[in-house]
Amino acid sequence: MHRLEFIGRFARNRGALIGAVLILVVALMALLAPLFFPVDPLRIVGQPELWPGEDPDFPLGTDSLGRDMLSMIVHGARATLLIGLFASAVATLIGVGVGATAGYFGGWIDEIAMRAAELFQTIPNLIFVLTIVVILGSTLTNIVIAIGIVSWTPIARMTRAEFLSLRDREFVQACRAMGMGDLKIIVAEILPNALPPVIVLSSLVVAGAILFESAVSFLGLGDPNVASWGRLVGDGRLLIRSSWYICAIPGVAIMITVLCLNLIGDGLNDALNPKLRDR
Amino acid sequence: MGNDRYRVTRRQFGVGVFGAGVVATSLAGVAPSRAQGSPKRGGTLVATWGGGEPQACYVPAGGGSSPTFSSSKLFERLGSRTMDGKFQGELAESWKPSADFKSYTIKIRKGVKFHDGKDMTTDDVVYSIGEIWKKYSAASALTDFSGVEAPDADTVVMTFSKPIPEFFFSSLLCGNVNYIVPKHVYAGSDPVTNPANNAPIGTGPWKFKEWVRGSHFEYVKNDAYWRKDMPYMDRLIIRYVRDPAGRAAAMEAGDIHIGVFNPVAPPDIKRLTGTGKFVATPKGYEESVWSTTLECNMRNPVFAKREVRQAMFHAVDRSFIAKTVYYGYARPGTSPIYSPNKEFFTSDTYKTGFDPKKAAALLDAAGFPKKADGKRFAVNLLAAGWFTENGKIGAYVKQALEDAGIAVNLSVPDRPTSIKRIYTDYDFDMAISNQANPSEPVPSTTQYFTTDGIKKGVPFRNANGYSNPEVDALVEKIKVETDSAKRKELVFQFEKIITVEAPLLPLVELESITVASTKVQNHSNDPNYLAASWYDIWLAS
Repeated sequence: MHRLEFIGRFARNRGALIGAVLILVVALMALLAPLFFPVDPLRIVGQPELWPGEDPDFPLGTDSLGRDMLSMIVHGARATLLIGLFASAVATLIGVGVGATAGYFGGWIDEIAMRAAELFQTIPNLIFVLTIVVILGSTLTNIVIAIGIVSWTPIARMTRAEFLSLRDREFVQACRAMGMGDLKIIVAEILPNALPPVIVLSSLVVAGAILFESAVSFLGLGDPNVASWGRLVGDGRLLIRSSWYICAIPGVAIMITVLCLNLIGDGLNDALNPKLRDR
Repeated sequence: MGNDRYRVTRRQFGVGVFGAGVVATSLAGVAPSRAQGSPKRGGTLVATWGGGEPQACYVPAGGGSSPTFSSSKLFERLGSRTMDGKFQGELAESWKPSADFKSYTIKIRKGVKFHDGKDMTTDDVVYSIGEIWKKYSAASALTDFSGVEAPDADTVVMTFSKPIPEFFFSSLLCGNVNYIVPKHVYAGSDPVTNPANNAPIGTGPWKFKEWVRGSHFEYVKNDAYWRKDMPYMDRLIIRYVRDPAGRAAAMEAGDIHIGVFNPVAPPDIKRLTGTGKFVATPKGYEESVWSTTLECNMRNPVFAKREVRQAMFHAVDRSFIAKTVYYGYARPGTSPIYSPNKEFFTSDTYKTGFDPKKAAALLDAAGFPKKADGKRFAVNLLAAGWFTENGKIGAYVKQALEDAGIAVNLSVPDRPTSIKRIYTDYDFDMAISNQANPSEPVPSTTQYFTTDGIKKGVPFRNANGYSNPEVDALVEKIKVETDSAKRKELVFQFEKIITVEAPLLPLVELESITVASTKVQNHSNDPNYLAASWYDIWLAS
C-alpha cells in the first residue's frame, strides 16, 4: 500500500513520469549496447564525416575519424550513466557520512566538518575536478572519484540540517534513555528519517556528475579508451561550421538525460514530501 | 626548458600553449603572392598566428614559436635563407671559413642603427655571439665553439676547436633568435630577466611601441632602417586570438589580414579560400618542417629487437593519418630527415610502409606469437595532448596495433603532463609526439637518436633511450665533415640506419599553412616565414 502510494504520487508529476521513462530507455540502451553493437565503438568503420542519413549503415553518420556515431552514442550511454551513478554514490557516501557525524555530535566536530565543507565549496567545482583528474590521471575511476569529491558538500549540509532537527526529538531521546549506542541511533533511527531529501539531492548530483564528465571530456581530459558523449562534443567542436551534427547529436543526448534526471528529482521530491506538495 | 639549438624554438613550445594547433595543406595553384604593381606605402597590417600570446616579447633561449614570432620583427640575425635554399646576409655582408674550417670570418654590415639611435658595432656582435648564442639561443649547437673576437671595426672572427662544416655554420647564422642584441642594453644584466625583453631594442624594420597584454603588440615603422625606404607600412599589429574559430571570424571580418602557422581549423581553410578573399599557402615553412612521430621506449624489453619496432610501423597506415586526421594537409614520413629538405633528404631508406601481414610475421619471428587471448603483449601508448590531432592519431594507432594483436592502453595527457611523462619520467611504452626540424640535421635531428641526446628532463630529445655506438660515431663524423658531398653521403647513411632500426620515425610530415587576405602582398617569401622580419610586406587597397 505504502509503495503504491509512493508510485502514485511520483506519477502524478507528469514531467517526472516522462523523465523516468526516457531514463529507462537510456539505461536499456546502455545495458544492451554490446548486443546491438558488438564491435568496439571507437573502431574506425567507415568514411569520416558522413552526415546522418547519408549512408544507411550509419544512421547517425560518422565522426571526423570515421567512427559510427550511433554506436558511440549507445555505448556512450553506458559510460555516462555509470559515471553519473557511481559519482553520485561516492558523493552521497562522503556527504552523508560527514553530515551525519557533524549534525549528530555537534560541537567542535561540527565546526571542523563544516569548515572543511566550506573549504571545498570555495574552490570552483570544474577547476577542482580538472585538477584532480590531471594529478591522478585520466581514467574512468579517477574521474568518478574527482566528481564525487567536489559534489559531496550540499549533501553533507542537507544531512547535517536534518540531523540537527531530528537528534533531540522524543524518539531519539527515548533511544538514548534505553542505552542505545550512538552509531546505532545514527544509522537505524535518525538516518531513515533524514534520507528522503538526501535522495532527491543525490538524484540531482547524478545529473551534475554527467555534466562534469562531459566538461572534462570536452576539454580532452576524459578517458580516451572509453566512448563518452562529452568527448564526442569536444572532438566535434573544431568542425562546428562544417559538420555540426558531431557536436549536436551527443549534445542533445546529454541535454535529454540531464533534463530527465532533474525531472525525476522533482518527482522524487513530490513523492517523498507529500505535504510540501499539497500545501 | 633547456635552450636548444638554433631553429629549435618551435619544438620548445614555450609557455603559450599552442591552441588547437592544426596542420595544413598544399592547396594546388596557390602560390605566395608576389608584389603586384608598385608597393603601396603606409597603412596598418594586423597579423596573428596559430597559437597564444608569448611569455615575453623576446626570450633569449627561444622560448617557443610565440616569442620567436614577436621578436623576429624587432631583432635581426646575421643571415637568412632565400626560398631556393641559398644563404644571404642580413646584418652580416658575408662570411667565409679558414682553410682548416676551424674559424670563420664575418664581415659586418655598416650603417646599421639600433632603435635607440646607437650604432650597431662589432662589439654588439661579439657580445651577442659570446653571451647570448653560446649561453642561450644556440647552446647545444655551439659545443665546439672556442671564442669570438673583432680584429677590426667591420670584421668578427669565430673560432672552433673542431672543423665546422660550412652549411652548419651558415645555418647557425640564420638560426631562429640568433639575433644581434644591443650590448649597451644587455651587458652586465641577466639577459633572461632583462626588462628590455618586453620592450626590445633591435635593428629590425619594426620598432616596439606597446604591448597590451592579452590582446596585441603594436610595432611602428623604423624610419632609420638600413634597407633604404623600407618597410612600406607604417604599423604592424600582432594580435592574439585564443581560438581557431575566433581567428577565422576575425579574418572574415577583415580585422586580421594574415595568420601564420595554421591560424584556422582545416575545414575553415577551404571555406575561407572559397570566398576568393583569402589565399592559403604551405610555403614559408621549409626550414621548420613539423612532423608527428611514433617512438618505442627501449627500456621496455619487448622493443629490444628491431624487428618488433619495425612491426609497430608496418601495422600503422600513415596515409590514413595524413588523409583523415590532417585532411590531406600532411604526407607519410619516410625518413628522420624530412622530404622538403633539399640538402639532406634521401628516398633510399628502409621503408616501413603499411603491411599488417608483414607486421604479424615479424612479431611471430621475434618471439611474440599470439597467445590464447589473441594478444601478443600489452603496451601503454601515450599521445601528447598539445595538439588535438595527436589524440585522434592515438585512437587510430591503438586500433591498428590491436589489429596486430597488441593490447593498447591509450592516454592523452595535457601538455605539461605529456612533457613530464615522455621526457622526464620516460613513463610510456610508445609515444606520439611532434618535432620541427631545419635543414641542418646536427644537432636538432640527430639528438633524437644519439646517446648524448638522452638528457632526462630536457624536452624534445632522445626520450626512448636508443643508444647505438654506430649511430653515435656516424653523427660525430657528420659534425666535422667539411666536404659537403661527403657530408651528404654520411647523412644518407644515417637515414638508412635509423629507418632500419626504427626507434623513432615520423608517421607524417605536416604541412603548416599561412592564410592571408588577397590584399596582403610579399608574404610567405622566407623558408621560415614566422621568424622572418617582414620588412617588405604591404597591403594593397
